[in-house]
Formats: sequence, C-alpha cells, structure tokens
Amino acid sequence: MSLARYVGIRVAQAIPTLVGAMLVMFVLVRILPGDPARLIAGPEALEQDVQRIREQLGLNKPLYLQFVDYMSSILRGDFGTSIKYRTPVIDEIMARLPYTITLALAAEAIAVAIALPLGIYSAIKPRSKASYIASVLSLVGASTPIFWIGLIFIYVFAVSLRILPSSGADTPRHIILPAVTLALLLMGNLTRITRAAVMEALGSNHVLTAISKGLGSRVILVRHVLRNAMIPIITIMGIQVGALLGGAVITETVFAWPGIGSLLIDSLFYRDYPLAQGIILFIVFVFIVINIITDILYAYIDPRVREVLWRAGRS
Amino acid sequence: MEKVLEVKNLRIYYELPQGIVRAVDGVDFEVYKGEILGIAGESGSGKSTLALAVAGLLRPPAKVVSGEVLFMGTNLLSLTEEELRRIRGKRISMIFQDPSTYLNPVYTSGFQVAEVYEAHRGGSWRRYVGDVVKLFRMVKIADPERRVNAYPHQMSGGMKQRVLISMAIAEKPELIIADEPTSALDVTIQAEIVELLNEIRKETGSAIIFITHDLALLLEIADRIMIMYAGKIAEIGRAEEIAKDPLHPYTKALLSSLQYERKKRLQAIPGSIPSLISPPPGCRFHPRCPLAFDICSKKDPQLYRVGGRVVSCFLYGGDHGGSA
Ligand SMILES: Nc1ncnc2c1ncn2[C@@H]1O[C@H](COP(=O)(O)OP(=O)(O)OP(=O)(O)O)[C@@H](O)[C@H]1O
Ligand SMILES: [Mg+2]
Repeated sequence: MSLARYVGIRVAQAIPTLVGAMLVMFVLVRILPGDPARLIAGPEALEQDVQRIREQLGLNKPLYLQFVDYMSSILRGDFGTSIKYRTPVIDEIMARLPYTITLALAAEAIAVAIALPLGIYSAIKPRSKASYIASVLSLVGASTPIFWIGLIFIYVFAVSLRILPSSGADTPRHIILPAVTLALLLMGNLTRITRAAVMEALGSNHVLTAISKGLGSRVILVRHVLRNAMIPIITIMGIQVGALLGGAVITETVFAWPGIGSLLIDSLFYRDYPLAQGIILFIVFVFIVINIITDILYAYIDPRVREVLWRAGRS
Repeated sequence: MEKVLEVKNLRIYYELPQGIVRAVDGVDFEVYKGEILGIAGESGSGKSTLALAVAGLLRPPAKVVSGEVLFMGTNLLSLTEEELRRIRGKRISMIFQDPSTYLNPVYTSGFQVAEVYEAHRGGSWRRYVGDVVKLFRMVKIADPERRVNAYPHQMSGGMKQRVLISMAIAEKPELIIADEPTSALDVTIQAEIVELLNEIRKETGSAIIFITHDLALLLEIADRIMIMYAGKIAEIGRAEEIAKDPLHPYTKALLSSLQYERKKRLQAIPGSIPSLISPPPGCRFHPRCPLAFDICSKKDPQLYRVGGRVVSCFLYGGDHGGSA
C-alpha cells in the first residue's frame, strides 16, 4: 500500500471527528451569554435595528439550520465573514497564523533542545546533577499553570530587570518570553518520558545482546537504545501538540502575541461566532494532521507498526 | 588438554538495599578446548550470574568481590572496557534464554547478525550480508536470502534462537556460553537446537558452556557436568561418571528426582534453595541433606578431589572427625 493511500484513509477517518468537533464548538460558542447583534448595533440601538442585524447574520434561524448553513458553506470553501472585522475568516486566520507557527516552533525547538539531551543524559547517569535537574523540571512543568509562569516571567524580566519586552511582536526579542513559557509547559513531560524511555531501552535484553556482540558503546546508544526509545518519545510529542495549541492560546493572551490564540480569545469576547468557529476548526484540523504525521513516523521507526498499518490499509 | 577458561575463587555479589545476595560465592572450574561443560542447578543457584561474569557482561548491582576469570591465560576482570569489547562476540560469545527479547525488534535479523562482523572487522554492515546468508544456511534457517531481511516479529521462536546462535558463532569464538538456550522453545525444537550446537562445536572447535535446569539433557550432550547449589559448586565430573556414580548428596537427589520423573511421579527434593542473602552456616545444602552430620552445619566444605572429580562435601574429605 502506498503512503498516499494510507494518508487518504486516515483523512477520511478523521471526517467524523471534525464534524463532531464542529458541532460541539458550534453549540458551545452559542451558549455563551451575550448577543453579537446587540454588540454590533451598540448599547443605544433600537430593538428593530438589532433584529435587522440578527437577520443579516442569520442568527434568527433555528440552531440546526444555522449549523446546516455553516456546514454547506464550509463545503464550498467559505468559512464565513468575521462579524468584528468584516473580512473573510480565512483571511484573518492566515494573517495571524505565521505568528502562532513561529511561536509554536520556537517553543517546541527549545523544549526538544533541552528535554531530549537532559532526559537521555539523566537516564544514562541516574545519579548525576542533570538527573536531579530533570526531576525538578518535570515536577515544575507538571504542576505549574502556564499563565502563572508567564506572569512571573513578565514580572522578573520585563518589570524588574527590564531586559526583555513583555508584550507584542515588534522585534525578534519579543518572542523570547512567550516561547520560553510555552516551552516550559512541554519540557517537564518530555524530559520525564525521554528519561523513562531511555532507561527502559537501556535495561532491555537486546542491549545485552548488542554488548555481547562487541559493539562500541556509542553505536549501542544510538542504534539499540535511542532508536527504540524514540517510539514513546514521538508518541508524547504528538500528544503534546494538543498542549502546545492550548498553551499557545493562553501564552499569546498573556504576552499579547498576535497569533490565532489571542485572536480566538478576542473573537470569543466579541461573540464573533464565525471567526471563533473558524479558528477552532482550524486547530482541530491541525491536531488531526499532526496525529497522522506521528503515526507515519511511528511506522517508520517500528517495523511491527508498519505491518499493522499496511494490513489496515489493505482491508 | 588446552584450557580455554579457568575460573578461580570467583565471588559475585548483588548489593541490594535488602542485603547482599551472594549469588556466586567462591567458584573454581576449568573449561577445555572443544568440550561441552554442562552447568545444572536449581533456579537461583547462580548459573546466569556466573555466565554473565565469564562473558564480561555483568551490570550493576552485580559486583565481583574476588577471584579471577582467566580466558586463554588473561584475566578478563582486569581488562579495560575496550579490551573486553574486542573479545566479546569474537572470542567469547553468549546465547541467551529467551530469543524473542534478545533481538532488537526494530532491525532485520540479517542486520543484527552483520553487526558482529561490523564490530570486529569494520566497514559497513552491507559488506557482510553474504556472510550472514552463509551463517543462516549453517544454522539451518530455511530460505536464508529472504530471512536476512525479516524482522524478529516475523520469525518463530526457534528461528529467532537460530539467528542468535548464528550471531554467537559468526566469528568462530573459542568459547560459547549458552544460558538455557532451549528452555523457551518447544520440545521438538529444543532437540534440534541442541543437535545444532553439537555440530557447531565439531565444526568450529569452540568450547561450549551449556547451562540448563535439565540434567537429563546434560547427561546426553555434555562432556563434563558441573552441579551448582546456592552459589557454590556441589560437584564436577565427567557426564558418565555423574550418571553412574553421583558423589554429592545433592547430585544424588537430582538424579533420583529424574528417575521419579520418568515414572511420572514428580518428586522434587524436599525443602527449597536457601536465601542467598543470609545462607545457612556451614554447607549450604545441609538443611536439606539426608546424610548431614554435625560438622556440616559448622564448617564450609572445600572442593575435594576424588579421582578425576571434584566434590564439595565432607563425606569425601576434610576433617571427618567432626571437630569444628
Ligand atoms: N540483577 C539482579 N539484581 C539482584 N539480584 C539478582 C540479579 N540477578 C540475579 N540475582 C539474584 O542472584 C541469585 C542468582 O541468580 P541467577 O539468575 O544467577 O540464578 P540462576 O541459577 O541463573 O537461576 P535460573 O535457573 O532461574 O535462571 C538469585 O538469588 C537472584 O535473585
Ligand atoms: Mg538463569
């Protein structure tokens, strides 16, 4: 079976997930108290003006009809028009997306650059200082809310020390605080899982075979320990994309980073239904794509998984 | 006869929080060129620990407390890691018990065998695919050209054990240590594997240390047999002699339990192997020994020579009078 066919099957399987997610968010967004028509019309507007706007937006129709309308326009490639900005939702998302991608990649890069070496080293040398640092990091990462870390960073680096900007995205230096904050969210778990995975691989019987063959310790580490340990590490990185996206929403808001996370919060405050729906839909879509990529990587590393995928793809 | 291996007064302890496990506690024996030395003993008697020590594969918490492991005259315990590496897989190799966990699931079997050549001859593993096919043919893996590309999960247990064996014989080592190589396999496949090891020995001239619970099997295939009990040697002798005239009461008990087994009336030796953290004083077997007398609980028996054999029992030497 070809890779393309496998991806096709996975995307098809994801459609119910997407529709379900859309339905949930469609209802949730509308459960929020507040009326976008009234927000647009302003506090002093007459009831009939508000009603007119409501009709323009289609908000007077029953909920299920609104959903059907929304779905059919999405199938036509139309994600609606932002109530607040009066521009196509897709344009708004595309304008803000580069910021979020930059932030997420920077955070992931920082997290991986620190967590993987730290986790690997502390597994090889469990009594070292690095191992102790790894434990502390895992604990902090797992138990500290991200907005709190963000606020502490702003207080220390922007308010007290005045060495880094705390909000906006005007210069490259602006990304440092939000990226490190978001990285901290990922690092704890990533370090812990890496250490556990490497320790488990180190203790496995096939490593004893590798030693008994007379292989050098570096070859053993790379081929017979790290390669096997990559399976759980990649899994956790895939799962973490959810945390990364959720964390981006909070981090972008705390640091006024103009990505789609802060745009989402804005749109919810403004009851900009089409924009909020568009962003959530987009996030769910990214999540699904990352999951598929994770599975493919997985199959690349582990021949047993490869075979299962192959069989699943044929049936 | 040329000595391949000589182990002298070897003690290996596991230092655990609960106490020190005296897994191997003063063991002396030799292995000669081209022979099969069988090692038998109950579970926990220290067989695997001894095997790992001889192969230079001990890992913490195991610790060598005393002794020498002389391989062709060189003490392995005093070598550097790099010197050991050059011996492992080339001059001493190891076959483990459970073939399914001793192969790496993410690489093909051919690659994993070719790594032995890569480790000792250098160059890319691809250069050695042809040699691996030959090895596979030698260990009777059907369709070897195709099997070199198979992953472990695509093979049966017996076939995986053949892959591990081909790894162990790749460089025609002077010593092969097989730690229960057949106990995870079906009975019919067990016999084939044993036969294979025997053929290999003849072809390569390697000495084999064959470890098993199965004394009956050893009586058939081994040249000499060493019986271990609770970290110590009970008896060493030629297989025929052990079968005909066992000296140590523990060996006698093992043999008679074999006979019972044949009559389908399973009869184990009463009692169980003692704790190796706080072993009984004197001879470690005395609490279970039907022939024990007063000195047995007071003094540790030495290894006494009786003809061509070695036995660790006061019935055959030491101060018979019983004064402690
Ligand atoms: N890695 C380890 N850590 C701590 N104790 C160990 C370890 N390996 C073995 N031991 C202990 O050392 C003693 C000897 O074990 P060993 O595995 O050498 O016996 P064995 O004769 O090979 O047994 P079996 O027939 O079950 O394989 C046992 O008491 C065991 O509990
Ligand atoms: Mg064992």
